[in-house]
Amino acid sequence: MSQDKLESNENIKQPDSNYWRSFNELYNDPVFIENSKHEFYNGVTDGFSPNELSGLSRRKFLALLGASAALAGAGCADYRDKGEIIPYNQKPEEVTLGKPTYYASTCTGCSLSCGILIKTREGRPIKIDGNPDHPVNQGKICAKGQANILNLYDPERLSTPLRRNNLGYFDNISWEIADKEILNKLNQAGDKEIAIITNQITSPSGLKIIEEFKSKFSKVNVYTYDLFNNSIKDSAWAKSYGSGKFPLIQWDAAKVVLSLEGDFLGVDGNKIENARLFSQGRDIDAIEKFNRLYVVEGNMSLTGMNADYRMRLRPDAQYEFVMCLINELSKRGISSSIITSQYSLQDFAKRFSLPGKFLNHLVNDLIANRGKAIVYSGSTLPENVHIAVNYLNEILGNTSLYRKDSTIQQAMDLSLTDYLKNLISSLDDGKVAAVIHYDSNPAYHLPSDLNYRKALSKAGVVITLTVSENESSAISDYVLPIHHNFESWGDAKTRSGFYSLLQPVISPITDTRQKEGILLSWTGIAGSYDETLYHKYLLNNWEKNIYPGLNSKMSFQQFWNSALHDGIVLVDEKVNISTEFISSSLNELKPVNKYSDYVLVLKESFALGDGRFANNGFMQELPHPVSKVTWDNYAAISEQTSKELNVKNNDLIEVKSGNNKLNIPVFIQPGCADRMIEIELGYGREKAGVVGSSVGFNANSFIKSQFSVSPWIIEGVSVTKAGGTYNLVSTQEHHAFDIERVQDLHKKRHIIQEGTLETYKKNPKFIQDNRKHELESVYKPFPYDGVKWGMAIDMNKCIGCGECIVACNVENNVPIVGKDQVEKGREMHWLRVDRYYSGTINEPSVSTQIMLCQQCDQAPCENVCPVVATNHSPDGLNQMVYNRCVGTRYCSNNCPYKVRRFNYFNFRDHFRDGYQEQPLLALLNNPEVTVRSRGVMEKCTFCLQRISDARSDAIRENRPLKGSDVTTACQDSCSTNAIKFGDINDLESDFSKFRNHELGYYVLEELNVKPNVTYLARLRNTHSEEA
Amino acid sequence: MKNSLLDYILRARLPVTIFIIIASFTLTYFASRAERDGVGYTPDQPINYSHKLHAGEMKIDCQYCHVAVEKSRHAMVPAVATCMNCHSVARKDKPDIIKLKEYYDEGKPLRWKRIHRVPDYAYFNHSVHVNKGIDCTACHGEITKMEKVGQMNSFTMGSCLNCHRNPHEKLPELKNVNLGPEYCSACHR
Repeated sequence: MSQDKLESNENIKQPDSNYWRSFNELYNDPVFIENSKHEFYNGVTDGFSPNELSGLSRRKFLALLGASAALAGAGCADYRDKGEIIPYNQKPEEVTLGKPTYYASTCTGCSLSCGILIKTREGRPIKIDGNPDHPVNQGKICAKGQANILNLYDPERLSTPLRRNNLGYFDNISWEIADKEILNKLNQAGDKEIAIITNQITSPSGLKIIEEFKSKFSKVNVYTYDLFNNSIKDSAWAKSYGSGKFPLIQWDAAKVVLSLEGDFLGVDGNKIENARLFSQGRDIDAIEKFNRLYVVEGNMSLTGMNADYRMRLRPDAQYEFVMCLINELSKRGISSSIITSQYSLQDFAKRFSLPGKFLNHLVNDLIANRGKAIVYSGSTLPENVHIAVNYLNEILGNTSLYRKDSTIQQAMDLSLTDYLKNLISSLDDGKVAAVIHYDSNPAYHLPSDLNYRKALSKAGVVITLTVSENESSAISDYVLPIHHNFESWGDAKTRSGFYSLLQPVISPITDTRQKEGILLSWTGIAGSYDETLYHKYLLNNWEKNIYPGLNSKMSFQQFWNSALHDGIVLVDEKVNISTEFISSSLNELKPVNKYSDYVLVLKESFALGDGRFANNGFMQELPHPVSKVTWDNYAAISEQTSKELNVKNNDLIEVKSGNNKLNIPVFIQPGCADRMIEIELGYGREKAGVVGSSVGFNANSFIKSQFSVSPWIIEGVSVTKAGGTYNLVSTQEHHAFDIERVQDLHKKRHIIQEGTLETYKKNPKFIQDNRKHELESVYKPFPYDGVKWGMAIDMNKCIGCGECIVACNVENNVPIVGKDQVEKGREMHWLRVDRYYSGTINEPSVSTQIMLCQQCDQAPCENVCPVVATNHSPDGLNQMVYNRCVGTRYCSNNCPYKVRRFNYFNFRDHFRDGYQEQPLLALLNNPEVTVRSRGVMEKCTFCLQRISDARSDAIRENRPLKGSDVTTACQDSCSTNAIKFGDINDLESDFSKFRNHELGYYVLEELNVKPNVTYLARLRNTHSEEA
Repeated sequence: MKNSLLDYILRARLPVTIFIIIASFTLTYFASRAERDGVGYTPDQPINYSHKLHAGEMKIDCQYCHVAVEKSRHAMVPAVATCMNCHSVARKDKPDIIKLKEYYDEGKPLRWKRIHRVPDYAYFNHSVHVNKGIDCTACHGEITKMEKVGQMNSFTMGSCLNCHRNPHEKLPELKNVNLGPEYCSACHR
């Protein structure tokens, strides 16, 4: 009571007379003071009585509303209604519902322009394979080419022209307005420059259109760039041999390959062709032709993983290494050269603590295999290395391995750096009326010291032609959406001997235009834009300029139709490769002996290329072939360097070169050279869409127009621990090298079985000797009478690239899950490539193994399924019935191979807020495969839909089903043909040779689950004393 | 002890009620089974097309219109243009043909009501059945006698298996027919 009084006394205290709200307050009116203690005045509820309200409460009202809606819905709908069937009004001749149609075209994912075969169902592309008739890629296509289909259906593709308004935002405008306004600006250019900035153009007709454009407008300059290119290598070749470009190599004929920082199986050159040719020297049926691969490189690359001998060496020391090698060879009497006398291989080996055995073998092998070996230098290396390597190949007589049948023909050369600098200075001087980004992204790619973005603000008008938003479109005045690869006409010429053709396989999904057609319509020579404009121009160009030179006996229309059908046109062209080595080029080989402390190496991303595939979830989620990291790039460093920097995996380091610095997480890589950092480019896109924006780190700023030796090798960088961590996610952790219990566990458990070629020659049955005798089983064997499906994986041919993963994803509607889910081990890939290290952390040897459902005859998963959703088919498949699965995950728990994948979410909805549920992306789905939802287990079933299709074909043709009738998606995509598939019961078949090969074994054979996937042990072609 | 009202209910009325509920449920379950499976579903179509006239009296082959039935999973409902092969000259004065021509001229899709349907996770294949010599009528009923097409048989997994397990009994006209596959992935993938 006294407390209350105290409070009320306090309240009655005089208010501060400085602040008053009314006179009543100022004069301390008692009524006011009393009222101020209550929230409402007295009588605020007068005249309000709840009883007078309607009896229908809000809750009741809503319940009634819901009930009546439900009743109305139930009453109106015919519960037997099964929807509608809407046939074509006029059916296109080639369409049969339920049967795919294939079209040949050309991939424009990078400037290699491989031939592709596009599988369409009911008019929509659903799968990309290589064009078997194409001379370069011969039926195979890389992961990017396969994932390109996702870019076609990307819901974020631009759909209308955009114009920047005064506030800096983009307004949608019509093509008519865009055309009119841009043409006005172009016509007003006068003597000011119009700059076209493009990536390399491989299309002859496309180039001709640029020429037309140049002749229409007075001052047009074309600037060409590619983030990664062969310019250094080609200029070294021109210095060594007078003219031309670096020739193609007969990898298949090489007995010994020495690759210096050259990832020719990964990102250097046409990897599809390289891998195919290289793997021909890994044929277990022709072991006398086995090649031997030496790799000397900084960080472990895909090529390094496949080496018989690999040595780590920082890339800036490659030059001295080659010179030492030349000196060593001249000491052994191979050449009389004196230019290299100051180099000593022994000293060099001591300084870099290189393994003497490696060098010994290498020198001996190079000498013994003169004319049958090739030394290959990676395109990122400085010019002097390439000249030295050209010389090395010359003195060893290895020039016979340069291909004479075909050579690279670039339709246009890349612009030199000085030329690009001219553009920047003209921009700065305000002499540029218009900049056209012709399907390129210079704001992201061009060297940072050019300050392109800043210079661009002084251009009269900036126009970007692009498929989807990017960094360059964001700073443009006009953004014009263009056709995707699969909606375009076109042609391409990248090699001598043939042309490739592009044809559209789907009509434009949104209001886009063909980029060549846009330029053509601006020139006004062929009238205004319509869909046939460029097509007509292309036909005309071919009829007038190319067809007459082909001496074809067909009429042009016949010729064109058959060319479109094949996707290629073969032409008879002479290949001239200069073979006269210019010895004066050796004067370029000046001694370089100073090494900076840290060297930074920038490499093309295996998954994203130069960043073009950043918004492609399939590629982002594809594990890096070596590190298995997804959704990020990182600084690869050696363990020794990590100790010096006092960092662990995921710790951030600061890499600094001049004014540029970057904080990037560390990922310690076995086999990485000390004091070097390797970062992949293509990541850290700012404007790539919801999938690709802000994924990884943008290290492009380290590329300078002014560089000392190579734009991709930056010497003298400083590296410090930055503090803080960043979460890198990889699908496979590597085990500790120094703990004896887990060291080489994959070999102790016979998961990986390997041998050397020598062992195999001595005892071809050495693998079978290791295998256990036939084990007893409590199950009665099931008689497989008809076809029994099996797979054989030749690990001599498998290079571990992971292209099969993307093929499987596209074929089987496998969803993208995102980084957060990969971190939890929930990636949905049905097929994975396991990578195992053995040996020491500095000189590891790597084994890769494709792991997929083994379709065990006595599958442990089947016994534990409470609802029999997974069981065995009479053709030996471990079937998975999605509509029966209730998601107990017992099967996954019981699977020894861990190849089952569970839908913890409806990932299509879960990833990036339903990104994959958008209607456009539904078109990507294979209609023959169920789209799985949340709570369902899924796994590989050997492309069951293809088996069913082949079976129905066999029934239709009234013949027995054969093993060779079916190919799986992974098999189709494998550029080295490492995956074989067929009928186990057909002992006459080609497949049976691999299934029952003496090198064959099963993984975890001791469990007696009787897998139907055979692995063929890898043979390392090392020297016999190490066997 | 005196019987209460509750006891009376428990002893007499409750069992009777439960019996009635169960009996009527069971009766309805079996009686309505065919209807629930869609048997007898005969919806109105946008064009009163008569299979009886075309396939029955005029003996036009099924595959003249359902062109893909031997080649593909789907039999294919014919395009409007297929009808116009004849009807650009035949019976042009009939109201339904006038309607049909409108569709054709305007390029409008003809939205037929779907009658037969198996769930999306069952991958039925017309071509394997037809190529084995199984007549259309085995599943679709006497189409040639239907003025308006309706579903004649049940299309449940049970009815598929019924035939797959006893093909000789169900299809006596086929002498050399094999047992149909019974394993899951024959239809589900």
